[in-house]
Amino acid sequence: MDRIAFEGLGKRYHDQWALRGVNARFVEGEVVMVIGPNGSGKTTLIKCLLGLVKATEGAIQVNGALVGNDPLYRAAIGYMPQYAEFPRELTVDQLLRMMNDIRDARSGSTDDRLIKLLGVDALLDKRIITLSGGMRQKVSAVLAFRYRPDILVLDEPTAGLDPVSATKLLDAVVQAKRNGATVLITSHIMEEVQRLGDRVAYLQDGRLRFALPPETITEVTGEPSLALALPKYLAQLPPAHVESL
Amino acid sequence: MWKVYKYTLLDLARNRFALGYALLLLLVSVGLFMLESDNTKALISLTQVVLALVPLLALIFTIIYFYNQYEFTVLLAVQPLRRQSITRAQFLAIGTALLVSFLFGVGFPVVAYAPSPIGWTLLLTGAALTLVFCALGMFIAVGQRDRAKAVGIGLATWVFMVLVYDSLLLWLMFSFSDRPIEPVIVPLAALNPIDLSRILVMLKVDLAALLGYTGAVYQKFFGGAGGMLVSFVALLLWMLLPAWGAVRTFARKDL
Amino acid sequence: MLRAALLVLLATCTSVASARVCSVWPGSGTIKQALANTCDTIIIHTGTYREGTITIERPVVLLGQGWPVIDGGGVGEVVVVSAPHVTLQGLVVRGTMVSDMNDNAGIKCISVTDIRIIGNRVESCFFGIYLSSVTHALVADNRVIGDPMADENRRANGIHLWKCSHVEVLRNTAMHHRDGIYLEFVTDSHVGNDTTAYNARYGLHFMFSHRDSYTRNLFHDNGAGVAVMFTREVTMTDNRFEHNRGASSYGLLLKEINDAHIERNMFVDNTVGILLDGCNRANVTDNRFQANGWAVKLFANSTAAVFERNGFSGNTFDMTTNGDLVLTTLKGNYWDRYRGYDLDRDGRGDVPHRPLSVFALVTERMPYAMVLSRSLMVNLLDQGERLVPTLTPAMLQDTGPLMHPPDRSGEQHARRSVEQYGERTLVPSALVAAIMVLHTWWSFTDRPILRSTGPHG
Repeated sequence: MDRIAFEGLGKRYHDQWALRGVNARFVEGEVVMVIGPNGSGKTTLIKCLLGLVKATEGAIQVNGALVGNDPLYRAAIGYMPQYAEFPRELTVDQLLRMMNDIRDARSGSTDDRLIKLLGVDALLDKRIITLSGGMRQKVSAVLAFRYRPDILVLDEPTAGLDPVSATKLLDAVVQAKRNGATVLITSHIMEEVQRLGDRVAYLQDGRLRFALPPETITEVTGEPSLALALPKYLAQLPPAHVESL
Repeated sequence: MWKVYKYTLLDLARNRFALGYALLLLLVSVGLFMLESDNTKALISLTQVVLALVPLLALIFTIIYFYNQYEFTVLLAVQPLRRQSITRAQFLAIGTALLVSFLFGVGFPVVAYAPSPIGWTLLLTGAALTLVFCALGMFIAVGQRDRAKAVGIGLATWVFMVLVYDSLLLWLMFSFSDRPIEPVIVPLAALNPIDLSRILVMLKVDLAALLGYTGAVYQKFFGGAGGMLVSFVALLLWMLLPAWGAVRTFARKDL
Repeated sequence: MLRAALLVLLATCTSVASARVCSVWPGSGTIKQALANTCDTIIIHTGTYREGTITIERPVVLLGQGWPVIDGGGVGEVVVVSAPHVTLQGLVVRGTMVSDMNDNAGIKCISVTDIRIIGNRVESCFFGIYLSSVTHALVADNRVIGDPMADENRRANGIHLWKCSHVEVLRNTAMHHRDGIYLEFVTDSHVGNDTTAYNARYGLHFMFSHRDSYTRNLFHDNGAGVAVMFTREVTMTDNRFEHNRGASSYGLLLKEINDAHIERNMFVDNTVGILLDGCNRANVTDNRFQANGWAVKLFANSTAAVFERNGFSGNTFDMTTNGDLVLTTLKGNYWDRYRGYDLDRDGRGDVPHRPLSVFALVTERMPYAMVLSRSLMVNLLDQGERLVPTLTPAMLQDTGPLMHPPDRSGEQHARRSVEQYGERTLVPSALVAAIMVLHTWWSFTDRPILRSTGPHG
């Protein structure tokens, strides 16, 4: 069964289409790297999936159910935004407990490995307002993985992290994938994309140009590194080509 | 919804502004009662302060708090929660915090110094105004992306309701003084929640004058249980309509 | 009471000395029979006497013992006095006939002198005590109570005096009639220590009654308050006018009154405290006006009125007028709305006070403008007018307003008036509020947000 299905998804802001005619299906145990130039619609796609942005046309299915007014589908999603913001006066511990409460998570059912792994256990008694940006990203990562979601949506997850923490986070992604999670990651770092991605979804001007395994792209172009293969591959695509999978 | 309400309220409890607001009201109320030996007169002055200050601060506080909480709101919006219940919970939480501040800052002194019908009316209308302007603040904040613009709209709303609206009424009276405009004026005044609250307090304070030649109209409009019910419903609508608008707008908003 | 007791004593002494006393019990003779005898004093004992209209045609003292009830049975008048030197005391009088043709009264005296009506109860009568062309009478300590359930057009006056002189109306209570006490063409008389309340029209009403004085009376909750018309040289002192509220209700309505002295009265919670309509040379001194709708309404046809040492506080409006030219002197009154200062500390404000607000003028023209009362806009309007008077008559000003209420003791002098502080605190509190708003605003815009910190912050 498809974990996520985009069917003719389109989003228009005023008179500008940020997304148009996106058709894609993602299955379990798959890591999809969403890439594309700035303003290509990556964030809009993610926001549509999360229900933060209402689609203008088309539909999204998560676990076979249409994304609509019922918010419960979001229980299956863990989300790590590009910049995380939490109630400033709470301590990290209070925040974690509050999120448990809001998600109705029973104690013991949560995945708390990242707390130790990322060193968040040392921050538990600190108030959010005293945390640096990177620390907040770690807290955000912990929250995304914590409720063992079927779907992980990570928006530039390593951008604010130190290299060691970034590596640990990506290891956790691999772990989650092995456990059957579908992972959507936006990234600008091609090494990351090539190493992690089962497929690369390329967005341009609001259209999904292709969603292919990185190996396919490197093989077609003959370049071993995705960073070099990608421009070549793009150059040989017909301009209005729309890939649907 | 009640979980969001609970946590928002807990955050508000630590908010310095909410505390400062309560203390300011307390200072003004106690100050007025201390300086003036006649408690009724102090109440009248307090009414004028409350009718101007409470709407302003409730409005601005709600708007600013909404923007302060925006990222957290987004975080909540990606949880398995309905958008509607998030907005409702936030409105109720901010309303509760402002209401508690108001009852602490004005309620205590009024109960202590002047537990009179005027005092009760002041407390009731002040509480209603708190919620009305909290709802209006939510509505304004939810509809605007830009914080500064929202605050600007809030200030403009306040100035309009507290000053411009009355001036328009007066202008209307002068312009149409040769026509039977009287039956229109009172309902028009009652459309503005600040005016309505003021009139409700005034009905107790200036009763002797109101029973003069204008008495008939007032008594008809506000005097009986029917009038009180109409006033109550009007204030309730002023709370519910903007709150409903805020909930609706936020539910459809792209975050 | 002392006077009444003396009179009783006097009556008893004279009867003992020179006159015969006879008694009436129920079932043993009638009052009419006793009157037909020659006894000077008739003692009427407890019981009810139904004898129709009793007419007294010779000097006599009727003395009730144990509140005997004289019931007219509703055929007309009850007791009619048509002889001088009559005293009625201690009687309960009931049972007049309501009539459009005749002024039927509980006790009526016509064209007589030297009458004493003391300590009677006149209950549910059409007219209560009615004196017509009487000189030298005393009406004291009576309770004249009408029927509270009766329509206004089925009520008449409680104590009614017509063409009388040298009458004293003292310590009576008149309630639930049309007018409590009514005087027309009554001169050189005195009304004192009476209470009139809940009368359908006026508590006290007099016309063409010169050189009379009214002291220490209480007029409250009457339909239209007290009305005084077409009269010269009236003195009204130490009276209380309270709770006379309604569309045409006045604490005291003065119409065409010349040379009145209105002193030391209290006007509390009336729709209009005093209305002066066509009055000349009224001296209004040392009165207190509290919590009235309009403390003083001064029509421009009144001239040379002097207001001195009066205290105005808690009124919705202190003064209004309907014209531009107001020939009235205000000096040394206390106004709780006064915002001036007293640098030379002589107890009087150094800048004049203008009691007439723009808003009062506006409501004079458009009564429904009252909806805006006490709004911020109206306050600003009045403040502006006070600074730069353009609409209100410039002449109407108190040049030496008192800084403190005239009858308050020194310990309270430190306290200043309400609204003064109301407005004084409004400004600083608004400032504090503004600072708080700005401070919160700044504090969140300056706050280090994640966005601005580096990736390894």
